[in-house]
Amino acid sequence: MLRRNVFALTAAAAIATGAGQAGAADMPAPFDNAGDVTIALVRYISTGDFFQAYLSGVESQAAALGVELRVFDSRQDAALQADMVDQAIALGVDGIVIQHGLTESMKDAAQRAVDAGIKVVAFDVNVENAAIPQIEQSDYLLGRLALDQAIEDHGTSWTAGYVYVPGIAPLDRRHVAWEETKAANPGITETARFGTLDNPIANSIANQARAVLQANPDINVVFAPYDEFAKGVKIAVDEAGLTDDIDIYSADVSTADISAMREPGSAWVATVATNPAVVGEASVRALALMLAGEDPGASVIVPPTLITQAFLNGEDIRNMDDLGAKMPQFQHADVAMSDWMPLPPR
Amino acid sequence: MSERLLDLAIRYGFLILLAGLVTYFSVAAPGFSSPRSAVFVLQSVAITGVLALGVTCTLVVDGFDLSIGAVATSALMLSAYSMVILEQSAPVAVFLCLLMGAFVGLVNGLLIVKFRVPDLLATLGMMFLLIGLQRIPTQGNSIATGMSLGDGEVAEGAFSQAFLWIGRHRLDLVIERLVPMPVVIFLLIAVLVWLFLGFTRHGRLMYAIGSNERAAGLVGAPVSAYKIAAYMISGVTASIGGILLAARLGRGDIASGNNLLLDSVAAALIGFAVLGAARPNAFGTAVGALFVGILLQGMTMMNAPYYTQDFVKGAVLVAALVFTFYLSSRRSGAGH
Repeated sequence: MLRRNVFALTAAAAIATGAGQAGAADMPAPFDNAGDVTIALVRYISTGDFFQAYLSGVESQAAALGVELRVFDSRQDAALQADMVDQAIALGVDGIVIQHGLTESMKDAAQRAVDAGIKVVAFDVNVENAAIPQIEQSDYLLGRLALDQAIEDHGTSWTAGYVYVPGIAPLDRRHVAWEETKAANPGITETARFGTLDNPIANSIANQARAVLQANPDINVVFAPYDEFAKGVKIAVDEAGLTDDIDIYSADVSTADISAMREPGSAWVATVATNPAVVGEASVRALALMLAGEDPGASVIVPPTLITQAFLNGEDIRNMDDLGAKMPQFQHADVAMSDWMPLPPR
Repeated sequence: MSERLLDLAIRYGFLILLAGLVTYFSVAAPGFSSPRSAVFVLQSVAITGVLALGVTCTLVVDGFDLSIGAVATSALMLSAYSMVILEQSAPVAVFLCLLMGAFVGLVNGLLIVKFRVPDLLATLGMMFLLIGLQRIPTQGNSIATGMSLGDGEVAEGAFSQAFLWIGRHRLDLVIERLVPMPVVIFLLIAVLVWLFLGFTRHGRLMYAIGSNERAAGLVGAPVSAYKIAAYMISGVTASIGGILLAARLGRGDIASGNNLLLDSVAAALIGFAVLGAARPNAFGTAVGALFVGILLQGMTMMNAPYYTQDFVKGAVLVAALVFTFYLSSRRSGAGH
């Protein structure tokens, strides 16, 4: 009883601040009575900075709307994740955000939710359902922007080491950009391809990269489209004393990555990222639009941002909060928006 | 004659294989046969090697420690937490990690000896406990300088240079800046464990306990104390592995450490086969770790994808176990 009261209070406070932020007074039904709206986040994977930040975005946008949020975490158990959708249906939630998962296991569960009259959005998992909008960070663009920057810095003729593990959906999509870039620029040669997801990933990649750099002293660019990969390559480059000879281009960003990129003489010169918290916010906003009877579109793409070492140093950016403050497009993506939509306080 | 050949195969088979491997990679992979390359191999096995030496001590008393990977990553998080968030110095961070490792080992030992929980189950439980525990203080986030602590504050602490020195400093040996500190620490621990297990009364008692606990108890060996000590050694070496990892990565990374566990257990088991020992031993463990390291280094240099590396690692382990259990049993059956 007490907990419910406390929740109602915080929800009311969140509505007040949220509405103030957006400058809109009234929200359409059902958000005129937001405390009665319940949404569920059904997660496939939750461990790691990216997923932690995604969750914080979902939480803050839900709080801004004033709706109740229930989080289900299947810890990479595909069958359990499908069961959790059924649990959410049984609980009578109004909307569900599906975060990652496998198409095969989630397709039917998502359909059951739609059949039960529940609004559903899916982040980074294709549930093959026309009634379910896809929220995506464009992994293809992530790779594309990083490689464009590499071409800007080094021209169209360089020798590359490439870090890749096939079979991981976001990496596969980033891989498409790499294949395209190579095809378009015959001067770019890939002399070595390596990669592993043995954890701690950065340590395992560092061991591999040491061997690769030793065997291929002509490498001057490493494309490592995942921040753990880039961190590992950077360690190897530092240990081999090649910081001046090699530039690393990667994807994703975190506070730890920012400090690694900003170390004096760091070989990690650029990364491209979407803010996972912003993706989380956009997921909830897309769901809210659907609940209010509006259409967020079949896919909501959160655009990525290029972050260079020079920019980080120039603006003296130390963590993700600084980055958001100095780079507004990183703090907020203008997708899945509406006049009445309250935004989390910044 | 054939019996002597078999004996030779058992004793030196693995070392000959190792030499063959080095020769092959020297020819096939450009840049493999150089002092720097040799040091890379040592560096890449230093951390798993240190863990494997700890696991060897528990194997000697016929136990097993599944928690070492989690202890190592806990030490990684703890050192980062104490320096970045609590703003402590490097010696304090190292001391806290070693203390944590010893304490976890003590609890493991007590669970097994006093509460009669089977070793695999006790250390499995401890593994899960630690994987969860290490994430509680930061709500599942990695730790790095400048991370925000909620309510607008920012962590001011940083990994101290003295701490990073442990993982990154390189000593001059013929070539300038050649031998990294983790390699020195690995070799030092290997020699210490080798001397302890092979040449002290304590070590021999531990082997006695491992081969027949009842008999060792009946002749008056303090079985429980030695078993607890073995788990404490394992905990401390695992935390040293974690410190080396933290000093190399320079941040507190979220990781379960399961791969560290598997790789180090593999090294210790391969070690059974070295010199036909057919039992856990420090020299074998070090050679086992080196063997895996050379294989992976050579294959990476030749652009072999990661799954073939796992396959080869598995094949080596199976071969080593056949050496140990089949050939050695034939030898003891035939002559001794």
